[in-house]
Amino acid sequence: MSEETFLTDDFVGQLMSVGEVDLLVGIATHNHAKTIGNLVRTIEECLVQSFPRERIVIVNADGGSRDDTQGILLRAAPPESKNARGLTSLRTMHRISTRYANAPSPGLALRTILASAELLRTKACAIVSPENSQPACGWVTSLLRPAFQDHFDFVAPLYTRNKFDGLLARNLLYPMSRAVFGQRIRELHSGEFGFSGRLASHCLSQTVWHEEVVRAWPEYWMAISAVSGGFRCCQSYLGVKGRTETTPDLVAAIRQTVGTLFWCLEKQSDFWMDRADSEIVPTFGPDHELAPTTSRVNRKKLLEMFRDGISGLEQILNSVLHAGTFAEIKRLAALNDGFDYPDDLWARTLYEFAASYHHGVLNHDHLIQALVPLYRGRIYSFLMQHQESSPEEMETGTEHLCMEMERQKPYLMELWKSNSEVKP
Amino acid sequence: MRETMLRALTQAYDNLLHMIGEFLPRFIVMVAIIIVGWLVALILKRITRSILRLTNLDRLGEEAGASGVLRKAALPSLTELVSRAVFWLVWLGFILIGISVLEISGMQEQISRIFGLLPQFLVALLILFIGLVAANFFSRAALLGAVNSGYPSPQVFSGAVRFVIWILAISMALEQIGLARETAIAAFSIVFGAVMLGLAIAFGLGGRDLARLTLEKYFGEKKKEKEDEPMPL
Amino acid sequence: MEGDTLWFKDAIIYEVHVRVFLDSNNDGIGDFPGLTLKLDYLQELGINTIWLLPFYPSPLRDDGYDIADYTAVHPQYGTMDDFKTFLAEAHRRNIRVVTELVMNHTSDQHPWFQAARSSRENPKRDWYVWSDTDEGYKDARIIFTDTERSNWSWDPATKSYYWHRFFSHQPDLNFDNPAVREEIWNVMKFWLDIGVDGFRLDAVPYLFEREGTSCENLPETHEVLRDFRKRMDDAYPGKMLLAEANQWPADVSAYFGQGDEFHMAFHFPLMPRMFMAITLEDRKPIVEILQQTPPIPDNCQWCIFLRNHDELTLEMVTDVERDYMYDEYASEKNMRLNVGIRRRLAPLMENDRRCIELLHGLLLSMPGTPVVYYGDEIGMGDNVYLGDRNGVRTPMQWNGGWNAGFSGADPEQLFSPLISNPVYGYQSTNVLSQQRTHHSLLSFMKRVISIRKASRVFSRGTIEFLHPANHRVLAYVRELGTEQILVVNNLANSAQAVELDLSRHKGRIPIEMEGRNLFPRIGDLPYLLTLGPYQFYWFRLRKI
Repeated sequence: MSEETFLTDDFVGQLMSVGEVDLLVGIATHNHAKTIGNLVRTIEECLVQSFPRERIVIVNADGGSRDDTQGILLRAAPPESKNARGLTSLRTMHRISTRYANAPSPGLALRTILASAELLRTKACAIVSPENSQPACGWVTSLLRPAFQDHFDFVAPLYTRNKFDGLLARNLLYPMSRAVFGQRIRELHSGEFGFSGRLASHCLSQTVWHEEVVRAWPEYWMAISAVSGGFRCCQSYLGVKGRTETTPDLVAAIRQTVGTLFWCLEKQSDFWMDRADSEIVPTFGPDHELAPTTSRVNRKKLLEMFRDGISGLEQILNSVLHAGTFAEIKRLAALNDGFDYPDDLWARTLYEFAASYHHGVLNHDHLIQALVPLYRGRIYSFLMQHQESSPEEMETGTEHLCMEMERQKPYLMELWKSNSEVKP
Repeated sequence: MRETMLRALTQAYDNLLHMIGEFLPRFIVMVAIIIVGWLVALILKRITRSILRLTNLDRLGEEAGASGVLRKAALPSLTELVSRAVFWLVWLGFILIGISVLEISGMQEQISRIFGLLPQFLVALLILFIGLVAANFFSRAALLGAVNSGYPSPQVFSGAVRFVIWILAISMALEQIGLARETAIAAFSIVFGAVMLGLAIAFGLGGRDLARLTLEKYFGEKKKEKEDEPMPL
Repeated sequence: MEGDTLWFKDAIIYEVHVRVFLDSNNDGIGDFPGLTLKLDYLQELGINTIWLLPFYPSPLRDDGYDIADYTAVHPQYGTMDDFKTFLAEAHRRNIRVVTELVMNHTSDQHPWFQAARSSRENPKRDWYVWSDTDEGYKDARIIFTDTERSNWSWDPATKSYYWHRFFSHQPDLNFDNPAVREEIWNVMKFWLDIGVDGFRLDAVPYLFEREGTSCENLPETHEVLRDFRKRMDDAYPGKMLLAEANQWPADVSAYFGQGDEFHMAFHFPLMPRMFMAITLEDRKPIVEILQQTPPIPDNCQWCIFLRNHDELTLEMVTDVERDYMYDEYASEKNMRLNVGIRRRLAPLMENDRRCIELLHGLLLSMPGTPVVYYGDEIGMGDNVYLGDRNGVRTPMQWNGGWNAGFSGADPEQLFSPLISNPVYGYQSTNVLSQQRTHHSLLSFMKRVISIRKASRVFSRGTIEFLHPANHRVLAYVRELGTEQILVVNNLANSAQAVELDLSRHKGRIPIEMEGRNLFPRIGDLPYLLTLGPYQFYWFRLRKI
């Protein structure tokens, strides 16, 4: 793959001028003219304060914006000086920008940023989301510092979230990643994270960049690469995670995230197969926090969609799930008023899906879509259970699910190793 | 009279004997050819199977999602399927050759026609197979999409998709053999209509929110109580 | 020597203390006859102006800046006749001499102060600033923070406080008193009559005191200075005044007036930024400060330097910059003094020849009159174990022999110990050994000074910065009339490529000034140059 050229001559020229740097902040944009100016200014102000002596570059990989995002980024006024003489930072602060393609591709964007990091011999990097319209100063520092000063290779973010935000992470991604890969990292799937130059080079040299999942959602893959490659991982608290303007489509989100998770499971099976338990990773700043809010989710609709899904996809689910598991789920769906989708059943459901993915029972994308109704059922049950829960109780609940998944991991390994599909 | 009858019978008998004398060796040859053909086909089947096992066709099929489809269609594995096809094709060829040895009048042309049709027949089979796979795939995709979006009667929708693809595949296969040209055109029209209808529905559903917003703007209707979609990430 | 009143613009100044250069009478202290003997060396080096540190009678508690008699020579350094001989010999070699004029304060041993403190009624009492309390002028900062706690000191004899901006043994003269101003003018006249070519005026911002102000840069100060300038111009045309005002460029530029105050002033903030630019490998500090430097009248000039007899002052930098400089250049506590670093050029650069040459290249190619501190032309070291700033004021190292050729006295008798460590010691770092090779620092200095003197573009031309994307390359074009010189400096310790936008000079041929080789003609495309670590080029851009 290293023979492949994907940086433009112009961009290479820009990299040449920047030369060696200590810190790199990468921003992948696509039509972010509204937020990018403010973001870049905040980042620079923050870097001047936190890293006055370090050589710094902001690298923008743009996916064909039509609203002059690149221009706005490059022209944004530098941070105002804090002293009377109008002197700002010690060093020249570089901003460089390239259009890697005419349509956005997160994988290609990340690859461009990683290549920049390698060519600039960067010590620590941070990827910052351009969605954030009110970026807080500390974020970039929190992502960079552990990698730069404490020599961690991967820095996952931690946020304060609304109580009912991030349900997919809480009910699926975190517990499953933790149980399988053995590291207690909350946000392996975040679009904002920090990493070392070492990890950047490692990931860049992998031959997976043409894979669909890596093209669509490279962050999770990179995080798993860090975990499975024996790199030092940590978490760093950033602050309150705001809501993005666009409500994400649940099906799309699951296809992307769970698709990548299962794909990584497949690719890294050598790593996780013989691993038990999970390790606590070092955390900078406060731990994961929850801001109490009330939920206005239409639970009735969730329940309906769960029931319709079970009946509608019966044939498919039958081929994916163990008969006993499916029977139990059907029993839940048949209950009249509400039900509890217990942790052990949920863990079994997920593991059987993962194993079916491995054995190629169905087209991979279809398999993951078939999980959506079950997820809805689980969320319905979760919301019912935690409507009035305190943050602590919710945390306890999550911990319980994680432990359950860890406990059942041998079941996954058994399913995985069996030569046939799940069904007996 | 009796003489005549006897002569006729003798004639017939002679003829029969003659015919049997003529036919029997040919029949034996035919049977021999068919038996040899069966053996050859069996051997070829074995060889094909071991070659396919060596090349790991099933694994490839699994990755391409074809094996799953076959399983779902209650068909044997891809290796088995291909080797069986080889067996039958080879044996069929031998049977036809054997029959041609009989030199039954008119049979000759029919057989050469069948041999002439063979490539088209194979292509038609392939089309049917692809059609089967595609129908399975797309009907399932439609089913999942419909279920996950909460549309009513997902089964009907998915069944319709399967039906349309089947029609398309069958008519294309027939077209390939040179039969029912009109059917193919009709099937195409049906499919085209269905696709357009599908697009119309899709646009309608996609534009639902836009339409509602526009209407609300015009008529100032009270919005429904706000609902949150839980943020998945 | 006569004629050009703007001679100071083309000057290359050599800063030296008579005490440190050569001892002719073997008493362990350098003197004027010794200095006179070494004028040939200075002429060979290529400098054309000598700036002498104070050589007046003094208790020497502040290295001579505490003057006890303005119109005599300290007996240690020779006689007035010795000085006159030195002056004549210098002039004979087309070398001008600039002396120190410390007008803000005197020594407490000066007869004026002795008289003033003898009683409250003494006529000289009002020549100094007295008060019954130590409460006045609270807004004035204390400069020598390491030694002084207040700007007022108690005089037990007359039971009152006297004002001093520097050490307590240096009472400030009262410039509100016309008699003081007249007396100072008499001092100036005295030396101008003898033939000195100009004065470096020490500590000029502090002449007046006014309640409620910082007592720096007051309008009254400027008025007095303008008056001196006018009198000097009228009576002694072609003489020069150089201001020492450690202030930001915008404040210092006021001392040029409308071209009717000082001829020259030191550019203090530029100096630390040249060092900073090298360690940061980034041109930003230099470009930023020069862009913030206001334009000055045509008959004035900035005076720039790398190192001098004082500490490398860090008053005119931001806190972040100061911390950085301390960490990079003065990791040990005893390398620091007041708000600065008391070290010489070569040790600051860890004796890296390439850095030392690059810094001199910058000094000699940037707009302003350069000052070379004695010993830096051979890369002399310092002695951080000597107190105050004495570590950078050790005897000149002429050869590897007895007392480095500085004096025939016993080594114990020298006014200061010699530098004798293996790296910078006189056995390895001395004039004689460097004169023998073409590749020595001294030979480099001679060459680069002669190139600088070959063109007035460096001393009088304008500067235009180029802004190549590679921030490790500092490039600018100096221009005077039709003559243009392109200067390209690689501030980094690694090879660099740079693309310069020279479209304005299209069609010209760059000729490298040291080897006089031709470079490709400037065309439409950006001009590509590659530079080795710390390398610099001077190109004459010729239209042929």
